[in-house]
Amino acid sequence: MKQPPSEEPDESLTVAPPKKWAAGVPAVTHALQYSLEETSVLRTGRTLLTMNQVDGIDCPGCAWADPAPGHRHRNEYCENGAKHINDEATTRRITADFFRRHPVSELGRRSDLWLNQQGRLTEPMVKRPDSDHYEPISWHDAMGLISEELKALDSPDEAVFYTSGRVSNEAAFVLQLFARAFGTNNLPDCSNMCHESSGFALHETLGTGKGTVSLEDLYHADLIFLVGQNPGTNHPRQLSALERAKANGARIIAVNTLPEAGLMRFKNPQEIRGVLGRGVQIADRFLHIRSGGDLALFQALNRLLLEAEDARPGTVLAHDFIRANTSGFEEFARHARTLAWEHVLAATGLTRDEIENVRDEVLRSRRVIVCWAMGVTQQRHAVPTIREIVNFLLLRGNLGRAGAGACPVRGHSNVQGDRTMGIWEQMPDSFLDALQREFGFDPPRAHGLDSVDSIKAMREGRIKVFLGVAGNFVRAAPDSAVTEDAMRQCRLTAHISTKLNRSHTVCGRTALILPTLGRTERDFQATGEQFVTVENSMSEVHTSRGRLEPASKVLLSEVAILCRLARRTLDGRTGIPWDTFEADYGAIRDRISRIVPGLHDFNRRVIRAGGIRLPNPVNEGVYPTPVGKALFTCNAWEMSHAPEGHLLLQTLRSHDQWNTIPYTENDRYRGIHGSRRVVLVNPRDVSRLGLAEGQRVDLVSVWSDGAERRTEGFEVVPYPTTPGCAAAYYPETNVLLPLDSVAETSNQPTAKGIVVRLEPTVMSTV
Amino acid sequence: MQTVEETIEVAVPVSTAYNQWTQFKSFPRFASVVKRVEQIRPNLTHWVIGFGPVRHEFNAEIVEQEPDSLVAWRSLDRRSRHGGEVSFRATAPDRTAIVVRLRFEPHGVGGRLARSTGFTRRVIRTELGHFKEYIEGLGQESGTWRGVIRNGHVLPSEPEPPRSRVAHWPVG
Repeated sequence: MKQPPSEEPDESLTVAPPKKWAAGVPAVTHALQYSLEETSVLRTGRTLLTMNQVDGIDCPGCAWADPAPGHRHRNEYCENGAKHINDEATTRRITADFFRRHPVSELGRRSDLWLNQQGRLTEPMVKRPDSDHYEPISWHDAMGLISEELKALDSPDEAVFYTSGRVSNEAAFVLQLFARAFGTNNLPDCSNMCHESSGFALHETLGTGKGTVSLEDLYHADLIFLVGQNPGTNHPRQLSALERAKANGARIIAVNTLPEAGLMRFKNPQEIRGVLGRGVQIADRFLHIRSGGDLALFQALNRLLLEAEDARPGTVLAHDFIRANTSGFEEFARHARTLAWEHVLAATGLTRDEIENVRDEVLRSRRVIVCWAMGVTQQRHAVPTIREIVNFLLLRGNLGRAGAGACPVRGHSNVQGDRTMGIWEQMPDSFLDALQREFGFDPPRAHGLDSVDSIKAMREGRIKVFLGVAGNFVRAAPDSAVTEDAMRQCRLTAHISTKLNRSHTVCGRTALILPTLGRTERDFQATGEQFVTVENSMSEVHTSRGRLEPASKVLLSEVAILCRLARRTLDGRTGIPWDTFEADYGAIRDRISRIVPGLHDFNRRVIRAGGIRLPNPVNEGVYPTPVGKALFTCNAWEMSHAPEGHLLLQTLRSHDQWNTIPYTENDRYRGIHGSRRVVLVNPRDVSRLGLAEGQRVDLVSVWSDGAERRTEGFEVVPYPTTPGCAAAYYPETNVLLPLDSVAETSNQPTAKGIVVRLEPTVMSTV
Repeated sequence: MQTVEETIEVAVPVSTAYNQWTQFKSFPRFASVVKRVEQIRPNLTHWVIGFGPVRHEFNAEIVEQEPDSLVAWRSLDRRSRHGGEVSFRATAPDRTAIVVRLRFEPHGVGGRLARSTGFTRRVIRTELGHFKEYIEGLGQESGTWRGVIRNGHVLPSEPEPPRSRVAHWPVG
């Protein structure tokens, strides 16, 4: 067993120039170095060599699709995936003794990094009211404690059941079934905070919430947009797909506020030329856009395409496609023509030449794909932006055709699958009716609470019990101080977790840690060894089988914990066979196959190499909107505006981080080492605001409620962000993000475009 | 760009010939050079072609498809550019003329071989013979897909084909 560090890292900041390329040999050495710090050579080999292979472990990291069976590398993973899987496979262990030595109040002062470094949770723990320590509790008593609290509620709607994207399809299905059989649709999830805007915009305009492209489309596109996305850090395997697309002649346009290394050049460590050569240039054009300017950019492109059609009628727009498959074109076109260039240039920070050059690229391309991530979805006007991207794709028939389409790049391995399984507070009646037919109970019909509304309800005392399955809700959520205060209002908080995080330290009156198997671990139940299934960002559903011995003999799987809890709580009120589900996950998949459209014959089909490729109706020429056609939309916008002396802040992840968990204090590609309390500011803004490199500042956000949200002691790092735009690390800066600052329609917290001012830190407060 | 055209007449009705031809996944049943076909979507297919120990893979887009009339494709790989049409015409109620027109860009050693020896023409002629033997022997098609594809887009033949019945709710 490896020993965790006992003290917090104590390094000072050093800043080097940002890297101009991603991956290469350093990616391999960093991945191996971290893996071997956490676990043995043997376990590292066992995890890495089975990772993302047919019959292997699905990387619990991002949701990027795997190449087709027979076309996968022996090492089919990225640096961050390798770190992440071995972060779970660590041989460090947290025992009851750890909690005797560390009171909850002390753990609450520890960093995310330190908490994660302590290793795997190994036995159920409880923090009782008025105690400052977690202490051991048996599984039986833990289940009893939670079920008694649930049964004592005045209404099932006083509980929320949160899901993180690591949760398997089987566990997600059981969780939503339990919640609905218990009587509530309060099923917030991490989707609420990452791609909710994509789901709403695509569902409204195309009738389906999922992306339309597969890897084969990316390989054969003529032109690929990467908008608000940093693939080098957040989806590194996408770079291999982009490399292949480029070899096949694709052009790539990156649209971002930061010139990320992964957008510039990629050295594929799987290839000799990537190890020895200069690598492949990724972006042919880089649009250094102002934060939130994407809507104006795509609207301008759409106007330019309409004008190009005017100049050469019948040569630019896909008239047959528009006529046969879309609705609302005329109104959209009228609206698009009213766009004022001065507004576009102000909102984007780009020149007209730059935008017209992009138009020319579009006109030269038969197949266009637009990829986007949280640089788009976490803006206030994210939903209209994505609707405008759909307009852009529709104009030239770039939907439903090979090598073209919409590609929301999701960030967490099963975040899409969990939603397919019914983890959503607003599930349609068709799904609830199917549940009713299958299980014979009446699921609640009133919509439940999403993440933001759950926090509000907790703050107001309307939620008494919080159950989190995986994840780190407290750190992922916005407005950290408000969220933490809300969690502390709960009567009981319980987390099904593999590792320690801050959500265990910011807890209700009673708190439970329910330690669970990781995805890397073998899962034995009464009928034998089990596998689970997941769905990637390209709608491929496949198996994941753990290979390692569990971190502790008393760990239960997520499915087992949920089934036991459901059985204890519901007391046989329904005929749901929780015992059978726990014993045989195939029995769960049988039920899923009868409830979730597209997953018929689930057990038989999912074990084929590569699994099940869920079709996207758009690719079948079907647009399941109310009018049966894709919708053109008219999207109004207001420019993101920072008053004089302020900047637009975006939160972002470092390269050495996975979701809320930093692995080190470094961010290699951006040249930041030794500290995460930095704010990246354009050099012009540094001097304009009278600041200096290395100066310590407090970040203070401005919001209409007048409340002061401040985080102290950040070092100013001059960095080539777009002028007027700054960046700082998530989750440390979530404290600046007002709970009420959400995207229109989707209610997704806006972690981009936060108006902040930088105030010199008063030294005594540091 | 080289062009090769070959015709064959098969003794089955045009709909039978068309239906069987468009069951692309069954090509390895009769075509000796086709080792595997994956139909990724109605308008996107992946082909594995083999000559002896040599394997060649490519993706092909179905650009046009009209029941009982035409299938037109084009390869999507830059290094192996080809495309063409297969047309179906009833010459009698139970007889169909099938014309394969292939356009390709000779590429590499294999391409030079194809250009100098008429190799491609012979392969197509042989495989058409295999298809004739296969469909006439079966007498009826093993499956059908009657959708229409225009300019790479599927026009559905019914409001919602079964394959597209998947979860439609928003995905966050």
